[in-house]
Amino acid sequence: MKKKRDWGYLGSLCISVLLAFVIGAVILAVAGFSPVKAYAAMASGAFSSARHIGDFLEYAMVLCLTGLACVLGSRVGIFNVGGEGQLLLGAVVGCQVGVWLNGQSPWLAIPAAALAAMAVGAFYALIPGWLKVKVKVNEVITTIMLNTIAASLCQYLAKGPWKNPNKNMVAATAQLDPRYWFKTLIPGSNLSTAIIAAAVVTFLTWYVMQKTSTGYEMKLTGQNPRFAFFSGIKTDRIVLACMCISGAMCGLVGMFRVYGAEHLYRSSVSNQYYFEGLTVAMIARYDPVTVIGLSFLFAILKIGAQGMELSAGVPNQIYLIIQTVVIFCMAAESGVFASLRAGAQRKKARADIRRKEEESHV
Amino acid sequence: MDDIAVRFEHVSMAFPGVLANDDVSLDIRRGEVFALVGENGAGKSTLMNVLYGIHAPTDGRVFINGRELTDHSPKAAIGLGVGMVHQHFMLVPSFTVAQNIVLSREPRRGRVFFDNAAARRKTLALAEEYGLEVDPDAAVEELSVGLQQRVEILKTLYRGAEILILDEPTAVLTPQETEELFAVIRRVVREKRMTVVIITHKLYEVLAISDRVGVMRKGALVGVRDTAQVDEQTLASMMVGRPMLYDKLEKTGTPGEVMIEVKDLTVRDNRGLVAVDKLSLSVRAGEVLGIAAVEGNGQSELLEAVTGMRKAESGAVTICGHDATGLDPGAIRALGLAHVPEDRLSTGVSRDATVTDNLLTGRHREKRFNRFGFHQRTSTIERYAREIYEKFDIRGSGTDVPVGDLSGGNMQKVVIAREFSFDSPVLVVAQPTRGVDVGAIEFIHRQIIDRRNQGCAILLCSADLDEVFRLSDRIVTLYEGKITGEFTGEFSKDEIGLCMTGGQRDKEAAS
Ligand SMILES: Nc1ncnc2c1ncn2[C@@H]1O[C@H](COP(=O)(O)OP(=O)(O)O)[C@@H](O)[C@H]1O
Ligand SMILES: [Mg+2]
Repeated sequence: MKKKRDWGYLGSLCISVLLAFVIGAVILAVAGFSPVKAYAAMASGAFSSARHIGDFLEYAMVLCLTGLACVLGSRVGIFNVGGEGQLLLGAVVGCQVGVWLNGQSPWLAIPAAALAAMAVGAFYALIPGWLKVKVKVNEVITTIMLNTIAASLCQYLAKGPWKNPNKNMVAATAQLDPRYWFKTLIPGSNLSTAIIAAAVVTFLTWYVMQKTSTGYEMKLTGQNPRFAFFSGIKTDRIVLACMCISGAMCGLVGMFRVYGAEHLYRSSVSNQYYFEGLTVAMIARYDPVTVIGLSFLFAILKIGAQGMELSAGVPNQIYLIIQTVVIFCMAAESGVFASLRAGAQRKKARADIRRKEEESHV
Repeated sequence: MDDIAVRFEHVSMAFPGVLANDDVSLDIRRGEVFALVGENGAGKSTLMNVLYGIHAPTDGRVFINGRELTDHSPKAAIGLGVGMVHQHFMLVPSFTVAQNIVLSREPRRGRVFFDNAAARRKTLALAEEYGLEVDPDAAVEELSVGLQQRVEILKTLYRGAEILILDEPTAVLTPQETEELFAVIRRVVREKRMTVVIITHKLYEVLAISDRVGVMRKGALVGVRDTAQVDEQTLASMMVGRPMLYDKLEKTGTPGEVMIEVKDLTVRDNRGLVAVDKLSLSVRAGEVLGIAAVEGNGQSELLEAVTGMRKAESGAVTICGHDATGLDPGAIRALGLAHVPEDRLSTGVSRDATVTDNLLTGRHREKRFNRFGFHQRTSTIERYAREIYEKFDIRGSGTDVPVGDLSGGNMQKVVIAREFSFDSPVLVVAQPTRGVDVGAIEFIHRQIIDRRNQGCAILLCSADLDEVFRLSDRIVTLYEGKITGEFTGEFSKDEIGLCMTGGQRDKEAAS
């Protein structure tokens, strides 16, 4: 029940991140840049202006929600790789609902758009979920294929039936009525009131997974579905529900991106953002709290790297290198640190025995 | 040192919170069958895992064929000629028998390609040599437990084992399969001069197969004897540290209403074959109905259909007067049924979940464990789990650890504790004491009879016939999915044995 914080894990995460920065520095130096200057530029890229802070907070929100959507699937033993498609569909449908409702009160239009985005995301996740539960089709394959279909479908809608009336906008839907836009919290940045809604969703997801009897059923289902079914849990229903909620969250992220930042649908609403969220979830070992923390870290790195590119001329791919090294180290961690920890445990146990022997001599 | 196959010198093995092996020194001679006995959690598996290189001992040294095991890894141990068949098998379910046997030393064609034909050939040759018949092309997941074990043994032989460790091999076998296994053991010892270490809970098996026997208690080796000089009673008292008393179980009360009713039930197994064939039976309140059958005669499928784990093809199941046909396990539990499943690892527990989580499931929706109906009350749950943990005398390092860390017998106690604590009017119990030590068997049997005396209807199935005889008020024998005999009151074991293998009971004798 009670889960103690895993300090060993946090320790190795910190070491991995440090190591990633060191390796990044070596690469920078080899490429002829000054690592000190580059990292300074990175830090100022993320923190120097309110606008950048706003941007990284918005990106952290995206990572956090998509990461948690992935965690939700993994909790019941499903690897949802299809979040990208669910996100894109949520964005395009959410946007179009706003276009259709043009002229109505924002109090009607925004909730309707959010619901529509969640519904389409949920439905799009339900397909692989249903196939997995009823026909035992591997969800990784179906979700990857559905991603491709969704991307093409959105592209088609934005170029065809739902095209922007402006001839210069090639692949975009019509723009939303500014009355529907989420209020910008930091002028010039992407940060909008969506982050408040995101915080609520994040809290609810964490709460349900960690604190409720439903979360308990989800956990058992993911750990051993046969046992969960045996003990009376309706496992199929739980898997489908989690898949739907995961899809709905992705759809909602798409809608947030449109109403908070882009104000119309075009493919830049997501640049493989779900996969970045999924990466965060994996590095966090699917622990919700860690996902929240890591979202901020990676958002800062990403926005900082963009700033670094502008001010110091360092290609922002350095972000990818750092991210990759962290992933690599975390994967190696399970091996390296596990054996270190086992060694420490042995030592301690040996000391215990010795103490016991000494006591028995007294 | 030439005739010593294995030497343990002051071996200790500590896990966080438990001293699993406590200064064990032991010589095992070449060409002998050495039996290792002890209660659950006594440290037998741990000691053998040390020998097999899985655990590096916290203290002490291990010699195999006179050479010290310095690099503590299974690879090194295998290299020195040790082979081990674990309590929980380590096979790849989707691979064929031949592929599993050659795994990690696959024959190759052109250094790269897996040579399936050679793998089959080697498997067949090995099977022939040791008299262990297997179908090299069958997928392991389709095999019975007995056959899977045979594959495990062949795997160790393929890797050139001279010292064979068998961890509770008979716990999963029928009496016939056990006999076959013993024949194999005798053959390899006599003809190949192999050394066999066998862990078992059944003391008569110790007497039947071993040359010497070592008894462990609480991590320590408390004695080694020549088997010829001991009997079951001495061994039992060495194990528990006090003389064992097999009291007679007191059964009271008379059977009441019919609580489980099965009518014309037909069930298919995983391969789509008819496993239960138009079977009917009923169990009354305050009665234990025992099913006696050789493994693979439909008893597993019957219990699965009754408890909702498997859909029946036709027929009806009634639990406590309600139609339970086709319901899922949750709905059937709601009618008043609790279930101790046959395979605790795949079905009875979630290994990664804590003991607390495993004890809670099924009642986690109860009001007292939830604030507002959904928010788990962690401290109430903890307290409840502790209480059950102590009441059922589960031994391990607390309720916070994953159930997978417990020894097999204690894992079983977790299952029993959870299912019995429902106080349900109907209990379906399969293999309640598989791989459980003598002390715990007595405890579990008492629990079953207590529930019976309180008026619970119990459907029992066990591969251990003595258990069926001891607990049941009425026994039915099952053969190829059909009931071949029903016994109450006076009957002979021979008669039951006959019915279990397909003979029909004399109609006159059946009362
Ligand atoms: N990998 C492990 N980690 C922690 N404790 C363990 C581990 N394996 C066994 N134990 C503990 O060591 C003790 C001995 O277990 P085991 O050797 O499996 O007993 P046996 O085989 O005699 O039933 C038990 O208390 C068990 O809980
Ligand atoms: Mg054991």
